[in-house]
Amino acid sequence: MRGRLHPILTFAFAALILLFTAGPVALSLYGSLVPDRVLLDPDRSLWTEGPNFESYRYVFTGQLPDSYLQESANRAMISDAARQVPQSLANSLVVALSAMALNILLGAPAAFLYARYAFPGKKVTFLFLILSPLVPAVALVTPIYMMLQALGLVGTQLGIVLVHAAKALPFTVLILSVFFRKIPPEIFEAALLDHCSRFQTFWRVALPLALPSVGATGLFAFMISYSEFMFAMVLSGDAQTRPVSVVMAALARNTDVSWNLLNTAIFIAIVPTLVLVVLVWRFVVEGLLSGAVKG
Amino acid sequence: MWTLRRFPALWLLPALLPVALMTIYPIAQAFWTSLHSVMLLFPGEPFVGLENYLRVLGSNYFQDALRNSLLFTLLAAPTVVVLGTLIALFLHGRFLGSQVVRSLVLLPWVLPGAISAVLWVWVFHPSFGVLNGLLQDLGLIEASIPWLTSPRTALPAVVVAHVWTQIPFAVVLLMAGLSTINPETLEAAAIDCRDPFKRFRYVVFPEIKSMIVVLLVYNALTAFTSYDLVYAMTGGGPGTATTLLSFQIWRESFSMYDFGAGSAVAFIVVAVSAVLIVAITRALPSDLFAES
Repeated sequence: MRGRLHPILTFAFAALILLFTAGPVALSLYGSLVPDRVLLDPDRSLWTEGPNFESYRYVFTGQLPDSYLQESANRAMISDAARQVPQSLANSLVVALSAMALNILLGAPAAFLYARYAFPGKKVTFLFLILSPLVPAVALVTPIYMMLQALGLVGTQLGIVLVHAAKALPFTVLILSVFFRKIPPEIFEAALLDHCSRFQTFWRVALPLALPSVGATGLFAFMISYSEFMFAMVLSGDAQTRPVSVVMAALARNTDVSWNLLNTAIFIAIVPTLVLVVLVWRFVVEGLLSGAVKG
Repeated sequence: MWTLRRFPALWLLPALLPVALMTIYPIAQAFWTSLHSVMLLFPGEPFVGLENYLRVLGSNYFQDALRNSLLFTLLAAPTVVVLGTLIALFLHGRFLGSQVVRSLVLLPWVLPGAISAVLWVWVFHPSFGVLNGLLQDLGLIEASIPWLTSPRTALPAVVVAHVWTQIPFAVVLLMAGLSTINPETLEAAAIDCRDPFKRFRYVVFPEIKSMIVVLLVYNALTAFTSYDLVYAMTGGGPGTATTLLSFQIWRESFSMYDFGAGSAVAFIVVAVSAVLIVAITRALPSDLFAES
């Protein structure tokens, strides 16, 4: 669809995109490899000092970095909040994967019906779904907290999963129904001729054809849950069950944590998630898109 | 489109019920609060009608906050969608290293909001910020610019950071949308029409239009109702330069403990975002909301 771009233009455009999206993250990688006194000193840099992995060692083993043990270090205290990052990543993974699974499981059938069928109550319920995320979450924190407290779900991961799933569901249904509409109607007519029931049409025809889109939508639900902060904070319990967004926000606000350690925590938090997201994107979404769907 | 005579409850209720659970009662509760005087320091919750709304509308922050929020949304949402479309179109083609770029474009997505704020404060920092360093090295500016603390540049700076956090999702959805276009349509278009802009306008755009509308609505909502990134970067300042209306919900409720006024701000935000959504769906009619 693109005209053939000049290779240099392609390269320049790619470099520009990379600079914008990956630039700030590259900064944090840099900051995680040098102690603060090097970071804030214009005359010294990574290239003169060499990489320093002590803060990584601290996060995983608890052994203090040398810079913290020096007499003159103004950050004498160290927060062990940074050491919660690996555990919080695992917590976030559990919560976000559950929210994602719930979203696909509950959202896909509804999206299929909205895309393919006319029925009484369609417009009202669809409008309800679209309009439900209108009210800002800040205004709903207190009532939702009290409701979940009555259900005994405060301090549990199930409570967070429920809130996150409900937060993403309207968009899941909306996005999936856009994709289901893209499947040519002839395919469904053929399924009807073959005496497929509505469920069989959905399960054997629509879902496999839209699988890459389901993957992309699942990623979306995953990321909504992974990055959500407010409900994760008020609903999470002790330090062992906190998701990564809560732990990272606490770290970012903690003045006892050096830039170096903060950047280390950032980088440790990014890598597993990025690998996961890229794997799903490459192998589920793109892999299937390249061959499976023929309009 | 097939017609059913009964409401297909078995198919729809699994999606509708959880959403209803998390919205109907909490929204009703918040609306009730907005009509009552609910303050932590004063016991009793007397009905006050629209008094909370009138107090918010007449408050000294309201005009600035509404203007900032609208400006923020009008700058951020279209930028996300336009940049996202450009990047998606570009990455849809294959070139040497395209897989690497496609993967790294997702980076801003995997960062929690608090962390994105830290990274961008660092980029914009007046003394050791990268942006000032870069511009000075290139000789474009002489003295470093205090991006986040000068009233003229603070809002554009937080818009850049916000756009950065939203780009990956737009790119992912638009690339998925582009991939559902029948390749034969594209081949035919490539033969019939040599002008790439016309080809986009008449062939590609209609195919991804409904996705663009969904994205615009989603981004307008996100920009108008979220405040955590902006607040973490500037605290609403300098002065009121980046004070957003949605932040006032939090401030009234959890800083002033005036929950009635906080809820009133929330419903004013709802009214404005409803107008924004209607405007978007009217300006870009698509089959998304059509009956048939």
